[in-house]
Amino acid sequence: MAGLRLSKTTIALLLLIVCHVGPSMAVLFSQLPKTLIVTATTKSGDVLHAGEDKFTVTWALNTSLPAGADANYKTVKVLLCYAPVSQHDRKWRKSNNDLKKDKTCQFTVVKQDYSATGKHEYTVARDIPTASYFVRAYALDASDTKVAFGQTTDANKTSNIFDIVGITGRTTGIFVSAIVFSAFSGVALAFFYVVENKKKK
Amino acid sequence: MAKKSLEVEAEVEVEDEGDAAQFKMPVDSDHKATEFWLFSFAKPHMRAFHLSWFSFFCCFVSSFAAPPLLPVIRDNLSLTTTDIGNAGIASVSGAVFARLAMGTACDLVGPRLASASLILITTPAVYCSSLIDSATGFLLVRFFTGFSLATFVSTQFWMSSMFSPPKVGLANGVAGGWGNMGGGATQLIMPLVYELIKKIGSTNFIAWRIAFFIPGVMQTCSAIAVLMFGQDMPDGNYNKLHKAGEKHKDNFSEVFKHAVTNYRGWILALTYGYCFGVELTIDNIIAQYFYDRFGVNISKAGTIAASFGLANIVSRPGGGLFSDYLSKFFGMRGRLWGLWVVQTLGGIFCVILGKTNSLAGSIVVLLLFSLFCQAACGLTFGVVPFVSRRSLGLISGMGGGGGNVGAVLTQLIFFHNSKYSTEDGIFYMGIMILVCTLPIALIHFPQWGGMLCGPKPGYTPEDYYQSEWSHHEQQKGYHTASLRFAENSVREGGRSARGSGHSKHTVPVETSPTDV
Repeated sequence: MAGLRLSKTTIALLLLIVCHVGPSMAVLFSQLPKTLIVTATTKSGDVLHAGEDKFTVTWALNTSLPAGADANYKTVKVLLCYAPVSQHDRKWRKSNNDLKKDKTCQFTVVKQDYSATGKHEYTVARDIPTASYFVRAYALDASDTKVAFGQTTDANKTSNIFDIVGITGRTTGIFVSAIVFSAFSGVALAFFYVVENKKKK
Repeated sequence: MAKKSLEVEAEVEVEDEGDAAQFKMPVDSDHKATEFWLFSFAKPHMRAFHLSWFSFFCCFVSSFAAPPLLPVIRDNLSLTTTDIGNAGIASVSGAVFARLAMGTACDLVGPRLASASLILITTPAVYCSSLIDSATGFLLVRFFTGFSLATFVSTQFWMSSMFSPPKVGLANGVAGGWGNMGGGATQLIMPLVYELIKKIGSTNFIAWRIAFFIPGVMQTCSAIAVLMFGQDMPDGNYNKLHKAGEKHKDNFSEVFKHAVTNYRGWILALTYGYCFGVELTIDNIIAQYFYDRFGVNISKAGTIAASFGLANIVSRPGGGLFSDYLSKFFGMRGRLWGLWVVQTLGGIFCVILGKTNSLAGSIVVLLLFSLFCQAACGLTFGVVPFVSRRSLGLISGMGGGGGNVGAVLTQLIFFHNSKYSTEDGIFYMGIMILVCTLPIALIHFPQWGGMLCGPKPGYTPEDYYQSEWSHHEQQKGYHTASLRFAENSVREGGRSARGSGHSKHTVPVETSPTDV
């Protein structure tokens, strides 16, 4: 309690670390133009199993846009995003207009160089949790900042929502081990009780 | 009647002189150690110390194994904030009653059997944590695993049975602190084990399940060690002492009556809820707080959270030591004042933590908060051993249970749903600490005084501890252990009491009382 005195230099250093800010302009989702048209082979209400099922996602630049609209697009990042029903009462999946704080899309499907059209077949990864999803693609510029997007669902995120069922993680090995170790604890206790009772007599 | 008491005294006297020589450590007339040798395994005192703190440590590791891995578990089981909050409350509520039961069990069958039994009964819940697949399952395993936190009571009881009053604060503080440290160590151990298993090739949802076997195995092994190497009292185990007639087997309803009618036990139960209870709540929420609010990853959040629990390695023992130190100069009044001041400071730092917006600032405030909060826990159990001798176990259980009630209440009010943001919850919890620490001023020992008033003139420790036994029971000599304790606690009167001719530490073994 008495020994905790921070020197002025240490405080200054800590402040420096904490206050260091990167490219500081906050990118807001509401300001991103929806220039990509994104579709997936999943239909509304489909159920896919992690580690087994696949779907294909296709993206294309909206052809009705003026030429050169995609001049600064360097990379495309396609993500799996939580639907509102899976965000309910779960602060760690909350949507935020400030994209730095946004937690809607947590899993990357693919990240590749930009081309006006693209397509990717994706096998649902084994670490995707059970939830309802849609697919969103961001166009990134040379500094990896999001500059445009497109998604498979509407603005309210209600259409084209599909489900993924994650792996349980309960393997046979774990099951057997849990039973064996638990039984051993019980047996050990019983053994010592018998010994104690013998000592009593 | 006087002749019979003298006979009982004489028998005890003869035994004492012969037996004292068998102990490696210096002991008092109760054969309790008058010194505390941290790095020794001397039988039975220091050995009991190491067995009890380590088994309690393992229980803490298990009970708080889930929080650092919540970012993975919440996705595997599709948990909501409410589910997580409920499970957090469940994890500390089981022990409320388990601690009371444990207190009674210690009074009746001894700390060795009581603690080892509880630990072995709860280990299946830890192993089965690897099998859950729903929010209900999660709640149930956390609930049953949390029962093991009742071993706190057996730890304190065991230390109070093995160490003499001048060292009891320190022994209780170190044993309690090093055990509580498990709540911090687990925040480092579990993410480490999890990352290791993932590296070997498991997916995240399998890896966390395998990780739970580590706390389970630790718990099983520690319980077996307690059964094989532990001993209830300096002179032997309860069943041996009961058989030899050296220890009177007390009856439950008397023990119960003397515990629940002692108001000091209830006040300490309340105030313990606002140092230890708050500590448990922080163990449950702090890793997620840093992960979600400041965006650090699982390992970093775990490390920061761990620093809170690990501070226990010095803070709680420091509290116990400080309590013993204050008692040297100011007696019991010093212990009570120290407790109030330190716990209030803990509340102040909690308030500040809720209002700190930077990561670095939060870490610093968290460390200061942990030091004072945990020291208060040590100071509390510097007072508890003196509240009752006959019902020591149940009073310790009430205090310990009260700690868990505090954890249930604070989580229920501030962290259960989305009503308050986590930082506001922390702020309000700090205010509640300040308010609920005030009742310490109401504790008064007639033989030693309280925070605000001095002792009753002419009232001795013998009067206080003897009043727990009826005239009839005193005739039978059941209260002799209480009398020995009373003699050895003379120092709690502070410097003025020592003017009556007793030695600085305790009554030496050679002189035994000739009057009863």
